[in-house]
Amino acid sequence: MQITLLQAFLVGVVYYMGFVGTPWLIGCLGSLSTIQKPLVAGVLVGFILGDPVQGCIIGAAVQMPFIAYIFAGGAQPNDPGLAGTLGVALALAANLEPEAAVAISVPIALVGTIVNVIRMTLDVTFVHMIDRACEKGDMKQAVFLHIVPPQILCFVLCVVPVTLGCYFGVDAVNGIIQVMQGRPLYTLEVIGGILPALGIAMNLRTLDRPGTLIWFVFGFILSAYLGLGAMPIAIIGFVIAFFYVQLETKAEEGRGAAAPQIAATSASTSRVASDDSDDDFE
Amino acid sequence: MAEETKNVAAMPNTEGHHLDKRDVSRAWFKWVCLSNTNYNYERLMASALLASFSHIPDKLYPGDEQKRIEFMKRQMEFYNTEPHFGCIINGLALSMEEEMANGSAVTPEAITAVKTGLMGPFAGIGDTLWQGTLTPILLAVAMPLATQGNLLGPLLYIILMYAIMLFISHFMFFTGYNSGKEGIESMMASGSIKRLIATASTMGAIVLGCLANSYVTCTSYLQIPVGEGYIDLQATLDSILKGGVPLAITLLTWYLLKKKNMNSTVVLLILVAIGVVLGATGLFGGTAA
Repeated sequence: MQITLLQAFLVGVVYYMGFVGTPWLIGCLGSLSTIQKPLVAGVLVGFILGDPVQGCIIGAAVQMPFIAYIFAGGAQPNDPGLAGTLGVALALAANLEPEAAVAISVPIALVGTIVNVIRMTLDVTFVHMIDRACEKGDMKQAVFLHIVPPQILCFVLCVVPVTLGCYFGVDAVNGIIQVMQGRPLYTLEVIGGILPALGIAMNLRTLDRPGTLIWFVFGFILSAYLGLGAMPIAIIGFVIAFFYVQLETKAEEGRGAAAPQIAATSASTSRVASDDSDDDFE
Repeated sequence: MAEETKNVAAMPNTEGHHLDKRDVSRAWFKWVCLSNTNYNYERLMASALLASFSHIPDKLYPGDEQKRIEFMKRQMEFYNTEPHFGCIINGLALSMEEEMANGSAVTPEAITAVKTGLMGPFAGIGDTLWQGTLTPILLAVAMPLATQGNLLGPLLYIILMYAIMLFISHFMFFTGYNSGKEGIESMMASGSIKRLIATASTMGAIVLGCLANSYVTCTSYLQIPVGEGYIDLQATLDSILKGGVPLAITLLTWYLLKKKNMNSTVVLLILVAIGVVLGATGLFGGTAA
């Protein structure tokens, strides 16, 4: 299948719509949480290329390495948005199996991080322009500068590379997949398979409580040996967490109440002890 | 006493420049839409706070150009938090602005202190609950449907995500606005927030364990010929611990991030290198013979 220029452009627009901070579908909810997910973008790209069902299947596969993806404080380890748009479009056009789609999406997601770095650097210019608007008390201009120029910049940064990538990339992908048949492709699949570890570990780091790792291993074993899905494990996890935290709080309160007593007792015993020693000396 | 009241009444601000529910709702909705439109390395969400409060000066300082300029500059300080849980701080900052405009003892420094003091903790809570717990659970529910080509999977994901997060952020914004500084401080001190974080983190860790088992995959199809038969590497690994290799890789990743303080890009490259070694040597990956 060949991607037309219009289709390529529309895939670029999907990438833009999923880019962190586009305001049009209620901010981060519509972008980061929705369109940026290959699960959702896959369906949209599928509609554009005329096969939403296959887009959905490929999108779900490409979603897997990014299941626990976290975007925090502007740091982006990789870019699921580009994988879910450019990656899915190329996979659909080249008629790839879901596994091969994951394999080509992984390097695409790594390249995608550049877009965010450029964008967050250039946006600094607008902050200084807004500062000047504030000096004049010009609210209309400040709001305009907050939305319109950064979004035009973002649109260009997103749409241009994806349009070009979709339009010219299909033959390249076909060629690459031909060359990489066998071990190289398996290797990319292995990388795609272990990539979710990064998102999961980054999330574990944000949780950062004593015992986090033990609960993590517990959840892992529940899933590996009982074969339970995410929803039942979430519910079991909630029940356990609820009672565990309640007990923990009780224990802390108990310790808090006991502490002054212990201090008092130890003070009195030490006095007794010193009395004793005084006695011995006498 | 009577004289005092008269004096106060003579001051322009005491007739009260109050915000109604609609003003607060607008500030919330504009914030949710605009929080990251001008996301940048220098001050992150500062101009978003200003844009979400753009209708406020007309209400609090009608006709006072100098106050309006001061108000605008105040919002342009460094600000960065998680937009949905963290907007409890925006609500709080808005209520403090309103009190200050009506002559209470709130100072601009107090607003800055509250913002900078709370934005970190709430970013942590928010990212943990939203991106770290809710998002993966909803994805894990939707993906099995989507893998079969069922479009209801993505649709279900979208509907649940919007419904839950809009409810939460609206609730947080109004909680911040209504309970004020003392309310939030006592909430933090009473330990109810601490308990909520502890419960969510524990549950989150368990769910992440499940996700690590389901989605970190590293399967071997290698069969080592021994005498007449073969040793199946994967079956041997499974007999020790099911999913042992993915578990080890995830724990190693955590160790590099947390204990070695590596940044995520470096860790990513290390994971790619591990993948290349495991894959290219033929130990892992491929298809069943």
